[in-house]
Amino acid sequence: MAILKLYSSSVTACTRRTATVLHELKIPFELIEVDVLSGAHKTPEFLKFQPFGQVPYIDDDGFILYESRAICRYVAAKHPRSGLIPTDPKANALFEQATSIELTNFEPSAGKAGLPFYLKKLGWRDDLTDVPANLEILDKKLDAYEAILSKQRYLAGDTLTLADLFHLPYAGFVSLGSDIMTRPNRPNVARWYNELVSRPAWLAYQDGVKTTTEY
Amino acid sequence: MPFKIYGFPPSTCTRRVALVCKELNVPYELIPVNIPKGEHKAPEYLKRQPFGVVPAIDDDGFTMFESRPVARYLVAKYGKGSTLVPDPKDIIATAKFEQAVSVENNHFDEPAGELFLQLVIKPMRGLPKDEERVKALLATLNSKLDVYEMVLAKQPYLGGDILTLADLFHLPWLYGLTEKAKLDLVTSRPNVARWYQEISSRPAWQAVKDGA
Repeated sequence: MAILKLYSSSVTACTRRTATVLHELKIPFELIEVDVLSGAHKTPEFLKFQPFGQVPYIDDDGFILYESRAICRYVAAKHPRSGLIPTDPKANALFEQATSIELTNFEPSAGKAGLPFYLKKLGWRDDLTDVPANLEILDKKLDAYEAILSKQRYLAGDTLTLADLFHLPYAGFVSLGSDIMTRPNRPNVARWYNELVSRPAWLAYQDGVKTTTEY
Repeated sequence: MPFKIYGFPPSTCTRRVALVCKELNVPYELIPVNIPKGEHKAPEYLKRQPFGVVPAIDDDGFTMFESRPVARYLVAKYGKGSTLVPDPKDIIATAKFEQAVSVENNHFDEPAGELFLQLVIKPMRGLPKDEERVKALLATLNSKLDVYEMVLAKQPYLGGDILTLADLFHLPWLYGLTEKAKLDLVTSRPNVARWYQEISSRPAWQAVKDGA
């Protein structure tokens, strides 16, 4: 059985998301670097595998898959005992609700605020114009998160799921330039956030995702 | 006890849930949340949906929100034999389904939704369109639909060979953009046109397309 191949840039947000989940599940993988700065993800050869011209995609022993959250769900489905995707019907419904909360209420503004901070840190681009407006949107969303997290430990309930882990890249990037995730008026958001960013799976790739064959 | 949808009949996400109820023959009671009057931001509603948007559901005491997860829940609970969500034991079919669901969410939903706001909602409220923004959104959406055209040339549905929720999730915005905003998004793309014609003519969608 061939090692799972992760085709991506080593630093991009969606690669960090995917690698964090691979690390949580202790799945060996090979990172095959795609040079996004020189447009390698827009070439005809790349588009055959990922027709939207984005990273990452995986090749798992011949099975090609893209969209980072779909990849994470796929590998978690192969490791059901991890509990990262609950199977009990009501727990699963609340898990799906939490993944949708991340997509509709966190990613749009956290991405548009966090990515500029991250790109500036990488030295790729220095343009923080969109940040203030998006931090304002995110601030209101996090008030709702506080209401939810004041009643339960994680976003889907009392156990960690993929829904929490999906927040990591942009939650981490936003914190490069703002204290919005750890403000004292939202103690439960801060508690949840601090726990997530201290996980070894997140810390492992702070300097970039790399091939990982041993855990 | 009927399945309760707290929603607003013309709302995109309310219709998305009603569509799946119709697909599965699940009777529902629509409890109106009056958006123009701001009822979705009232404290009683925020207890149901802390982000203050519609819909939220109550299934005999089990409450949840977010239209796409509700759709998944409906299939899991009421869709015995339904193929709208692949069997989780089929890991490959499920992965391709999740990829398609993610594509709809990440590539289609935002530009489509904002275009609908600019071209239909704003004029309805007497607000001016942002022409530059419309141009940019059209360019984005068209480039995404070009990829859809390629994908749908090789397989009948976005997740593979079988119609799933991933296809149906597109209906509210695509109907709005083609029928209300009168955008020509599908006719120049034969595979997208074939796919859209099929999903939009389903009786379940016809029943709720103009109001849940």
